[in-house]
This record gives sequence, C-alpha cells and structure tokens, in this order.
Amino acid sequence: MTLRAALLAAALVLPLPAVAAPRTTLVVGMAAQDVGRLDPHFAVSTPDRAVVAWMFNALVRFKPGSMSPGDIEPDLAESWESSRDRKVWTFHLRHGVRFHGDYGELTADDVVFSLRKSADHNRSAVSGDFAAFDQIEAIDPYTVRITLKQTVPSLLGILTNYGGGFIVSRKAVEKLGDAFARAPIGTGPFAYASLTPNQSLELDAHTAYFRGAPKLAHISYRFLPSNASRDLAFENGELDLAFGMQDQTWVTRTRRNPNAIVDVFEPGEAALLHLNITQKPLDDIRVRRAIAYAVNRPELLRWQGADVSRQPGSVIPIGNLGYTADNGLPQHNLDKARALLAEAGYANGLTIKVIHTQLPSMLAQMQVVQAELKRAGITLDLQVVEHATYHQMIRQDLSPIVFYNAARFPVADIYLTQFYHSRSTVKTPTAVTNFSHCNAADAEIDAARTEPDEQKQLALWQVAQGKIIARLCAVPLIETLQAWVRRADLDYGFPLKGSLSLGPVITEATHFK
Amino acid sequence: MIATVVRRLLAAIPTLLAVLTLVFVIVRIVPGDPAAAILGDRATPAAVAALQAKLGLDQPVWAQYVSFLRQYLSGDFGVSMVTNRPILADVAAVLPHTIDLTLAAMLIGTLIGIPAGVSAALHRNGVIDVAARLLSLIGLSFPVFVSGIFLLLAFALHWRIFPVIGNANLADPLDRLTKLVLPAATLGLVMAAYITRVTRSAMLQVLSEDYIRTARAKGVPWRGVVWRHGLRNAGLPVVTVVGLYVGILIGNSVLTEIVFNRPGLGRIIVGALNQRDYTTLQGLMVIYCFLIVVVNLLTDLAYGVIDPRVKQA
Repeated sequence: MTLRAALLAAALVLPLPAVAAPRTTLVVGMAAQDVGRLDPHFAVSTPDRAVVAWMFNALVRFKPGSMSPGDIEPDLAESWESSRDRKVWTFHLRHGVRFHGDYGELTADDVVFSLRKSADHNRSAVSGDFAAFDQIEAIDPYTVRITLKQTVPSLLGILTNYGGGFIVSRKAVEKLGDAFARAPIGTGPFAYASLTPNQSLELDAHTAYFRGAPKLAHISYRFLPSNASRDLAFENGELDLAFGMQDQTWVTRTRRNPNAIVDVFEPGEAALLHLNITQKPLDDIRVRRAIAYAVNRPELLRWQGADVSRQPGSVIPIGNLGYTADNGLPQHNLDKARALLAEAGYANGLTIKVIHTQLPSMLAQMQVVQAELKRAGITLDLQVVEHATYHQMIRQDLSPIVFYNAARFPVADIYLTQFYHSRSTVKTPTAVTNFSHCNAADAEIDAARTEPDEQKQLALWQVAQGKIIARLCAVPLIETLQAWVRRADLDYGFPLKGSLSLGPVITEATHFK
Repeated sequence: MIATVVRRLLAAIPTLLAVLTLVFVIVRIVPGDPAAAILGDRATPAAVAALQAKLGLDQPVWAQYVSFLRQYLSGDFGVSMVTNRPILADVAAVLPHTIDLTLAAMLIGTLIGIPAGVSAALHRNGVIDVAARLLSLIGLSFPVFVSGIFLLLAFALHWRIFPVIGNANLADPLDRLTKLVLPAATLGLVMAAYITRVTRSAMLQVLSEDYIRTARAKGVPWRGVVWRHGLRNAGLPVVTVVGLYVGILIGNSVLTEIVFNRPGLGRIIVGALNQRDYTTLQGLMVIYCFLIVVVNLLTDLAYGVIDPRVKQA
C-alpha cells in the first residue's frame, strides 16, 4: 500500500467533524533569509516593514488597504486639532489601549517616548523625517502636543503607521534594551511569540487588541528566499499568502491557479535614471536630453508587464500628492537623441561607466535601458557590483548615472526633497539621495513646504517638477507595483489597493472564509 | 589515539587564528558599510555615523582587530550587527539542520557511490561501467537548484509525498526525517557521482596490482579479493574525497537550503554577507573552520583504520 493510499484509508476511517472549523493560522511566505531588526524605527527592509505593521499602531493610520493621504484616520489618537499656523498639534489618545504581554496601558508618556526615539538619530533609522519637530510633550496621560519649528506638508503622514510613526512601549524598550529589536512590544493586533533564525517568525493574536480580538489566532511568517520554491509551496497549499514577483509572467501564471488571488497594489516603486549634472559628459544638457529621448518607456512597460507596472510621467511617482504629468518630459525619439549627441560632439556615440547592482530585478531593468540607449549610440558600460556595495558606491558619487528604485510617503515634498533638493546631495553632511546634484527647484520645494494654501502648494510642486525635468536631473523609466498572492479563501477584511509597508496589512478583521 | 586527537586540535589553534585574521581583513576589504546597510536608504549621515560608533566601526582597524581577538579568545562570539541576536544562539538553532543534511547526504553518497564505483571497475567498459559513468556525469552536471526543483515538482507537487517547505521541527523525528529526504537526496546524488568516479579509478588501479594477482593465485575467493584486498587499498582516495566533500557540504549546501527552504549555516553566511554583518560572518567562519578541522581529523583517523601503516607513521 502506498503512503498516499494509507493516508486516504486512514482519513476515511476517522470520523469527520460535522462542520469544519475555519482555519485560524495564517502561513505567510516572505522572500527573505531572515528578519533584521523588529524595532519599528529600524525596520527598513521589505520583510521587516511588512511584519512590524501587524504588531504596531501609530497615532493615525492609513485606512487598511489604502495608502492615500486622503485616507488617514484615527488609530491610537481618537481625535486631534492643530493651531491656525499648523505648527502646534494636539492629539487625544484612546483610553484602554493595551500593550502586548504585561506592559500595561498605552499613555501619552509612551507616545512622547516613541516619537522622541524616532527623531533621535542614535535610536532610529528614520530620524530625518522628524527634522521639523521642535517639542513633543505629554499634556496629561491621554494628550500629546507636538510643536513644529516649521510647518510640514503632511504632519499626519509622518505620524502614520509607517516608519517613525509607530508607537512602542517605553517600559519594554527600557527594560529589554537591545533585546527589544528581537522581541518587540507594540499595541497591534498581533504580538511577537517566537523567532527561529532562518525559518520563521511566529506571531500570536493580541486578544486585548483595542479594536477587538483578531479573528486569526496565529501567524507564521516563513522566510523563503527562493522564488521558485515559494511558488511551489503556495501551489502545494503550504502557504496562504506569499510575496510575489513584479513580473507579468508570474502574474499570468499564478492567476491560472483557481485557488489563488493575485493582489497588485500601491505603492509603485519609481525607477529613474539620475544623471549627475556636474560630471562630464552629463554636464552637457544636450547629452542628458539625448538620454531622455533614447529611453523608450512604452517598451519597458511591455517588457515588465502592464499588470504590474505603469508608465511614469514625471520625476516623482504617480499618486503622490502634487504629482503632475504634463511637465514637458521628452518622449522617445531616436532621431532627436542622435542629433543631440552629434551636436554635443558625440556623433560616433559615447560610453559611460555606470555602477549598478546585481540584484536580479534591477539588473534586468537596467539591461533593457542599456539596450535602448545603445540604439542611440550611448553605451552604458555596466559595472555590476553586489547590492550593498552599489549602495555605498553611488553614495560616494562614483557613478555618473544612478538607476534608483524607490517608494516614499506619497506627498511630493518627500520625493522632491530627498532626490532633487541641493541639501540632499550625496557626499554632503545633509546627504540623502540626490545623486544628480540637482538644484533646479530648491526655492519651489522650500516654498511649497511652508505654503498654507493648498492650491498654491500644488502649483509650486508642479513648477518644481517642470524645472527638474527641464534641467533633466533625472529620467523616469517605469513604476513597478507590489505583487502578492493569497489563497482564495483568505479575506483581508478590506479591499487591498495600497500598503506603505509593502505587504498586505493583516488586521483583526483578516480571516479565512 | 587520544594523544593524536589532542595534538591535532592544538595544531588547529594557529589555523584558527590565521582564519580569524583573514576573515577580519576580508570582511573589511569588501566594500559596503554595515551601518548604511542596516539603516537603509532614508538614514541621515548622522544616523549612519552614530551606528558606526555604536558598532565600533569608527575605531582604527588595528583597535577593532585587538578588541575582536580579545572577544574571541574569551569565547564571546558576540551578537549580530543586524539582528542583535547572539550569534551562537543562531548557530545552535540551525546547526542540527546542517548536520542532518551533511550526514544524510554523506550516507546516500557513500552507500550509492562506493558500490557503483566498485561495480563499474569490475565491469570495465561493460554496460554497468558505461551506465555508472553516464549517471555520474549527469549527477555532476546538474546544479542542485535544478535537480532540487525537479525533485520538488515530482515528489512534492505531483505525488505529494514530501512537503516543499523543509524547515523541520527538530523535536519531531518523523518531521525531521520527512523534510530531510529530498534535500539529502539532491546533495547525496551529487556526492555519489563524485565517489563513483573516484572509487572506480582507485579500484581500477588497485585491481591491476601484483598483490591482487597473488591473492587470486592463492585461491582467495573473488569477492574477498575485491572487498578485502581491493577496496581496502582503494579506500584512501575515497575517504579523502568523502572528507573533503563533507567539509564543502557544511558551508556550501546553501543552494540546497534555499531551494528546500531549510535553515542552515550556509544561509546564515549568505545573509550575513549581503547585510555586511561583520560579527556574524566572523563567528560563522570560526565555527566553520573548527568543523573543517574536526572533519579533517576524522578523515585522518579513518586513514589509520584503513591502512595501519598510516597510524604507525
């Protein structure tokens, strides 16, 4: 008798329950070797970001399934108000919110501690987001006041359930010290239970969760780095939810499985070529324009797949508050590209050395761009290095062209400031990710940040995009959306359209049908 | 015997020190800043500098080396720069999986490879020999990430005998065994291919020796000639290959671990390398080096069992 036949026979002999109980354990497959730091203020990789969002809350949150700034709603704060000049904000906390384990009730003291920790570069990876914060203070156990040095376009955005907005237990951080990053304490619907290195992170339902006990009892977050075996595990029914591939072939193939639902959602990670306007030959606007004309975005879109990507129209991602498409972005035209090169003295073409990552998805995209530019006579001599090395080298200004893929909080100010403001230029004390040394729209970016009139603010951001495109500090290539797959009977409890944590938000409402 | 073991372990100390130094230098030569890798692309230069200071990376290299040596000589492997978890605890959690896989692959490799190699040598240029050579060529030609996926497609997806996710519960022997079969077969078959070839060529050489002819002339049964006189004398190169291969398996089974979703030392090493996790890399290299020393020692001891002249020497 085969093993299968034996199991079948055993199943027939054993009495079946009258009604099968709904499953309450969610098994998730993540593309990761392991998790890194689970302290939410240090959770920067996709595997860490996705899972901390299930364990923590913030003062405010994006409505589950959305990442639109218009969908921000109360979370730990039940209400808030701001002064007329939007520099002083007062948040009123919910009563009775419990931390995981024995860490008691959330109070204003925890909120003040958390936000100060987020703003402290010694204790947070996202302290830059809090540069405008002046004071964070507890008025009473359930009231927190934030005073800003200057207004910011979206204070609520900084305080959402993303990055530095997450609220931790002061008592737990002080008691656990460095161990907090291994076994964190939050107020979210799921609490840390255990971690097996290289295998899985186990989470238990936080039964005292303030929105009600989660319908799921347990989450097993498995680290499965191989795309092929993660797919096989999903096909085999060993996973309920899995990280997918931003690739049309994968989407098409996976959708053939009748028990699978493919979720493609925001944010779109915007890929751009950042052109260093201070280095030869890119200091010549004609060369930069030639590159812009040589790039064929429709071709890139066809290659990546229409279900998982879209064509960008500006130097900030689609969907950002303040995004405008009609800024005079050059469209593909090989004749113009060749003519501009000839005019710039490169009639026989030119070669540019570019440092690039060996990360397969980014390398493949860059190779398509390389082929497109080659048609215009521009040879990209790719120096492919390991991913961490690439990050270090591009920040040392060693690559005249930088291919960079990123998603940020969807307000134009963030992307414009980090990528195009001269203060963010790499190799400066205030560096972020301005690889092009762009300084075309500093005044508009700064003015928009403090502009109280929303329409004027939007207009300033539009002018900024236009100026950056006119200077061609960067050439937009493609935007790639997030792709996950779940079993058809898994219901998130909300329609999933976007998630800043880059993974589906698992809430108290998530359940198996 | 005990004196030999102690002497060999003592002799390994300079090797370990050399490895420590080499690893310390290599991880620092490789470009890529651990602090920047940990903090991600939104970190400010001040945050990166603060973390560098916390991790001691702002110290001169010689000062880092001294504190690194002091730490290791006191038996402290430290914590991972990235996860903050104690390195030894992480290693202890995955080491049983690595040992399971290595031993099972070695078992499969030797149980298939040695008889196949002997049979091939005994039927030189016959059907069995050609088949053994062909199969060993196939075994060596298929990368484990291809053969592994084929095995998963057949035994996990089609026949549903084994699971795809191989992270076994160590406390459950049946679960441990079930999740070991496919990865061990994947690695074991490659090892069997190596051993078949080495055994075959060693046996061919030995079978042409005078003492084999003498044994046959004395009327020793053919089976006895092959197994007692032939294989025993051909054993040294086979044991050498097995020893070397086991050493390679301990650290290099990473592809198998990834395909079968198993934890293991190889996966930790790759993760640490990607994240520039200096402390984990250093700790694992020391452990890996120690395991290699132990495997080499066992191999040397096996020489003595196979050939008493080695022991006397």
